[in-house]
Amino acid sequence: MRAFSRIRHLLRNVFAAAAADRELDDEIRHHLALETEEGIRAGLDPGEARRRALLAFGGVARHSEAARDQRGTLLLEDLGRDVRLALRGMRRNPAFAAVVILTLALGIGANAAIFSMVDGVLLRPAPFEDPDGLVVVWETDRASGTSHEPASVPDYLDLRRRSETIADLAAILPAERNLDIEGRDPARITVLNATPGTLLMLGVRPLLGRTFAEGDEGAPLALLSEALWRGRFGADPDIAGTSVRLDDVPVTVAGVLSDEADWGIRQILGAADYGRSFADRGASRVDAWLPLNPDPEAFPRQTHPVFLVGRLRAGVEAGAAQSELAAIAADLEETYPENAARGVNVQSLREVVVGPVRTPLLLLLAAVGMVLLIACVNVASLLLARGTARSREVAIRSALGGGRARLTRQFLAEGAVYAGVSAAAGLALAVAGIGLLRVAAPADLPAVGRVGIDLRVLAVALAVSALAALLFGLVPAAQTHARDLGERLQGGGERGGTAPRGRRRLRAALVVAELALAVTIATGAGLLVKSFIAVTSVDPGFRTEGVLKAELQLPATRYPRDFSVWPNWPRTLGFNDALLAELSSTPGVQAVALSGPHPLAPGFTNSFLIDGRDPSAPPLPEIPVRPISAGYFETLGVPVLSGGTFGDDAAPDGPALAVVNQAAADAFFEGRPVGRRLTFWGSSREIVGVVGNETFRGVDQPAPPAVYVPTAQAPQWNLSVLVRGGDPGALARGVRAAVNGIDPDLAVFGVETLEETLSGSLSRRRFPMLLMTLFAALALTLAIVGVHGVLSYTVEQRRQEMGIRMALGARPRDVIGLVLGEGLRLAALGLALGLLGAWAATRLLAALLFGVQPTDPATFLTVAVLVVAAALAATVAPALRAARVDPARTLQAQ
Amino acid sequence: MGGRTDVLQGTLDMLILKALTPGPMHGWGVSRRIQEASSDVLQVNQGSLYPALHRLQYAGWIESEWGVSEAGRRAKFYHLTGPGRGRLEKEKEEWRVYVGAVEAVLQAT
Repeated sequence: MRAFSRIRHLLRNVFAAAAADRELDDEIRHHLALETEEGIRAGLDPGEARRRALLAFGGVARHSEAARDQRGTLLLEDLGRDVRLALRGMRRNPAFAAVVILTLALGIGANAAIFSMVDGVLLRPAPFEDPDGLVVVWETDRASGTSHEPASVPDYLDLRRRSETIADLAAILPAERNLDIEGRDPARITVLNATPGTLLMLGVRPLLGRTFAEGDEGAPLALLSEALWRGRFGADPDIAGTSVRLDDVPVTVAGVLSDEADWGIRQILGAADYGRSFADRGASRVDAWLPLNPDPEAFPRQTHPVFLVGRLRAGVEAGAAQSELAAIAADLEETYPENAARGVNVQSLREVVVGPVRTPLLLLLAAVGMVLLIACVNVASLLLARGTARSREVAIRSALGGGRARLTRQFLAEGAVYAGVSAAAGLALAVAGIGLLRVAAPADLPAVGRVGIDLRVLAVALAVSALAALLFGLVPAAQTHARDLGERLQGGGERGGTAPRGRRRLRAALVVAELALAVTIATGAGLLVKSFIAVTSVDPGFRTEGVLKAELQLPATRYPRDFSVWPNWPRTLGFNDALLAELSSTPGVQAVALSGPHPLAPGFTNSFLIDGRDPSAPPLPEIPVRPISAGYFETLGVPVLSGGTFGDDAAPDGPALAVVNQAAADAFFEGRPVGRRLTFWGSSREIVGVVGNETFRGVDQPAPPAVYVPTAQAPQWNLSVLVRGGDPGALARGVRAAVNGIDPDLAVFGVETLEETLSGSLSRRRFPMLLMTLFAALALTLAIVGVHGVLSYTVEQRRQEMGIRMALGARPRDVIGLVLGEGLRLAALGLALGLLGAWAATRLLAALLFGVQPTDPATFLTVAVLVVAAALAATVAPALRAARVDPARTLQAQ
Repeated sequence: MGGRTDVLQGTLDMLILKALTPGPMHGWGVSRRIQEASSDVLQVNQGSLYPALHRLQYAGWIESEWGVSEAGRRAKFYHLTGPGRGRLEKEKEEWRVYVGAVEAVLQAT
């Protein structure tokens, strides 16, 4: 019986809490009515009787609270009620709710998106076994001052054999191949030739089939990437053991590798001084892995084609490996003349891959964190304003006995509801944002495929939201402080004479703080924008307008590479001549040229000698060698500064010719190179002219010295086709038609205008610049909304004061001036603090800047003018509102 | 009204149960019965009356239902349950033991 009654009670309390409350209220009303009647019977007038009855009862609210507290389900029930109350509040004031939710959602969404990026790229470890033990071993060249060169195969073998600190060393050689599938256009794929132990060393297991093993060196085997397997082979589960054709050569598929297996490869190649292969073409994935045979006969000591990745012996630090390998390198330098001036540089794999993007990513995270702070400040400020409007309600409720803890709990629940809705909206924004980020991210951003909303990102977003909820709840709760209860009851809150001074000051301080943060972000963004403008206005040394670029690779099967007769490769030279002739006669083509690397690819370098130079002088650094066809300088508008260039007359068996650029002329020939000779590739060449510098290492790098040689005397199997003309679409069709007409089995790839190539080469700069600008715009907008909010509030608060002033003869102009003055004071304070912050913070940006000092006065000034103008704009509306105050009505209202 | 005193802490439950023994009554009537039975000496703090009624109801000693009062008003009437009667007897017993003990202490010299 008793248990039954109890259960019934509990059930009723949970399911009918509202009904129970109504009953309680009815009951108390009944009691008060009887008590009042008795007072009246005793001779009191009804009002006094009612007052005494109330007095005898004590605070109605407090007693109903206490009565409710006797019911067992208090917390659960309160929670439900608080959430309902919060939702009702939202519905009652949708504009307020929308502003709060939008502000918080933007902050949370932007943070979740950027954090997901930081998490995927910076925080999560490489998908390898014990990734901290992996290092990249570079070669260095003291003569050219380079520290990130690929290694020679004999050096690789020597280092691997002699090192005690390195447990295992792998050599990888990037390349590209044509993949031929029956009945389809040949596809261009990226391949990584890797010594067979590479994948075992990394701890990568195949999804299907087997990886390479000792003894597979040079075997006709391939491991396909998951993406290639899915995209080109329909995820055929029986692919292992089948045969595919790479550059016309049949190769057996050994297995399939996860797409994560190429983690960091793109970044290793990108960090290299040369030999970056497909990394220069913007390709970011490895499509297939082939077993490399590190044969010193095929790769002699003076060529540096392979990248070395090693695993440190357990317990060995990278520094110890550096000292040991440097000693071995010094030994090799003494033994082999080809190793003159060469050393080693050991870097942790993580540093190579993630190091270059750490600063920009952390800066973006900092900026987006500041945006969130600003969003929170804005919301807090809104709450303070609403708190004032609600203060009478709050005061009455606490006077009636609404317990302080109870009110605080209610505000917290309200905060939680707002934060929850904002978090949901923010995460939706983040999902959309991450999609955009992944598309917009530069190709060299590592592990972009791993960026997404996962549990960690979710946890961070929720933590951020919880903090916001706390702020949201505690600000109004703090306002219910009993201390000023009487003041508010008496003062009548909103409509009273002047606002509590302390709260106005707090809001002003919040606005100053958010302005300062916004100014800091805007200054950083301004510097990045200015750098970007500086980079894009660098003269690259060649004309991109109207030039279309396409790339080809001639397979060795149909275009034999017999080095014993090089440069007499009739098939290759014949192809070049036929293609040039075909394109020259294509309608719409104004100029056409072939080259090895295109003008925005660094290409390769060679060591060289200057004929007649003192042989005992220190060795010269390597020089980039750029094979080009006769029309190259004309097609790209590179000026010939002195002498001439080679024409169509340059022949494989004719006199060997070369052209150098201005940088090479200044660096090696005291500015007068024409007629002098230099030697590389075993032959001495006459310099016939000097041309302008091309920034082929990127427009933000100084133009390096270069020597140009005729393709007729240096046939290439990797070719760039450059055509100048009108419509890029027509040019592209023309190039494909011309190539197909000569060799229908050749893949044409990398077809884009040179302007697109140039723009793509700037994506590493554009990406942080655009994001930072976006965040700055967001921060400034929010801050300006904040300024507008605080001034509107002030005007509302001081309506009566304004009315009195105007009644006493102040003109509207004076009142406007009053409000504008307050706005300007806030803006000036925020600006001063923000510029100080920027001055301290922008030096962190130094590595990302180009042609701009971190404390660039013009940028600081621009931001200052912008912020003051925006703050003024935000002040105008409240100022005009103040001027429209009708003194008569304001005074009557009192 | 100097003779009035608040109900002693801990005895309110017992007084309410006792006040309900004659039959169902609403909250105000309960407080009146206690006040009258004590010749106006005991003053039920109204603020503790309703929480106590709910507490007793939750414990299963009393039950309530809505009815119409003498004055024709809708009111909530409380009545004792079986366990409530048992509880009252137990509390009365304990109270007498307690009063006797206190008295004995006061008599001691």
